[in-house]
Amino acid sequence: MRATLTRPGLCRVEQIMGTAITLDLADDLPPATLRELADEVFAWMHEVDARFSTYQPDSEVCRFDRGEVLLSEASADLRFVLETCADLWGATDGFFDAYATGRLDPSGFVKGWAAQVASDRLVAAGAVNHCVNAGGDVRVRGLSPSGEPWRIGIRHPWDAMAACLVLTGTDLAVATSGVYERGRHVLDPRRGTPASGLRSVTVVGTDLGVADAYATAALAMGTPGLGWLARLDDHTHAAITDNARQHHSVDLPLTD
Amino acid sequence: MRRAFLAITGLAASTTALVVLKGSPGATPVAQNVPTAQPVNPTPLGVDPSADPAAGPPTPSVAPTAPTSPKPGKTTTRPSGTKTTTKAPSAPRTTTKAPQSTNRRVTGNGFENEYGYVQVQIVVSGNRIVEAVALSLPSGGESDIHSGDVRNRYDGSGGEVVQKQNANLNTVSGATETSNSYKQSLRSAIEQAF
Repeated sequence: MRATLTRPGLCRVEQIMGTAITLDLADDLPPATLRELADEVFAWMHEVDARFSTYQPDSEVCRFDRGEVLLSEASADLRFVLETCADLWGATDGFFDAYATGRLDPSGFVKGWAAQVASDRLVAAGAVNHCVNAGGDVRVRGLSPSGEPWRIGIRHPWDAMAACLVLTGTDLAVATSGVYERGRHVLDPRRGTPASGLRSVTVVGTDLGVADAYATAALAMGTPGLGWLARLDDHTHAAITDNARQHHSVDLPLTD
Repeated sequence: MRRAFLAITGLAASTTALVVLKGSPGATPVAQNVPTAQPVNPTPLGVDPSADPAAGPPTPSVAPTAPTSPKPGKTTTRPSGTKTTTKAPSAPRTTTKAPQSTNRRVTGNGFENEYGYVQVQIVVSGNRIVEAVALSLPSGGESDIHSGDVRNRYDGSGGEVVQKQNANLNTVSGATETSNSYKQSLRSAIEQAF
């Protein structure tokens, strides 16, 4: 879906990984270059989906989970994802668990990581002003089409059409994990029961995969996750509890 | 005799009413203004000012905002009768968005899913979408539980803690796992608009 706009750049939305991926390129580049960049981004997202989907039985993740692919035979991407998930399991006291559902499901890291890689590749290709939104996980760089820092709303947990906080910046990875959409789908991996206490957790950093995993982990911790979030280095956060209270880091990059 | 008494009483009552109404010309507008100001939370973001019966013991807030108690006098000016103070708070009125004349509304096709009917409308200003409204969403199940939650939280005297912000946004971060029908309807609206 391509819109003919008077603003510089290009905006495209595609339905991949069971969610909407939005790419907003704000650089004033020739239309053919922009289309090429967008094609590459969405080709990468399709590649990640084919490799890491837990819904497609022939994906590499599913074949690995069934023991049909050995770790030594796995792609470099799968090995990287498995290693990082193991690191994140340690960094989150076991609350980020790619095996929380009883089978391998690294989706809590993969979606953000895929968008992060796409953003890194855009920077390398010279498109330094862009926003990649992979189903609510956002990586922004440089300036928006209006020439100002990007403005990222954090979805209001009880109103899909409203934002409860607005962040702004030129180099942010913003990941939000919430239980408002699919109900209580995030499991506490230690107890095997749905997590409770927190309705929505947003983590802001520079690596979207890590931010995504941290947000999922804090949500799974429930209310104690607030303390854990506060001790995170190099990351800021906002969390909304089940009783509609809002907590956030003092240095969260909020708009004025 | 009784008829005359009734007539005099009636005349006196209506005269008094006339005098009261004429004597305080500002009273009626004030009494109308005050209730509109009630739902607006006077405290800044992130802090619950008073006892919220649903909230239990107060939890420590990381939010840096300072005031923890409502300013005296502001929340107590409930319109008990006709005569209230002449201070009519006008500031909350600025929160309503003034519709711009260049806005146009485009309605997407409706889509049926297993839970019901979904239809989305977008508001376009220039070449940007400024608003997306769900004209129709399925009811029941989790949706209704969530709506109930919201009503329970916001009706209490504690006011709303999580606020809503209307701002120009480039994008939104959230656990977006919206239904395909919503996306299809939104998509058709966008395709019609541009």
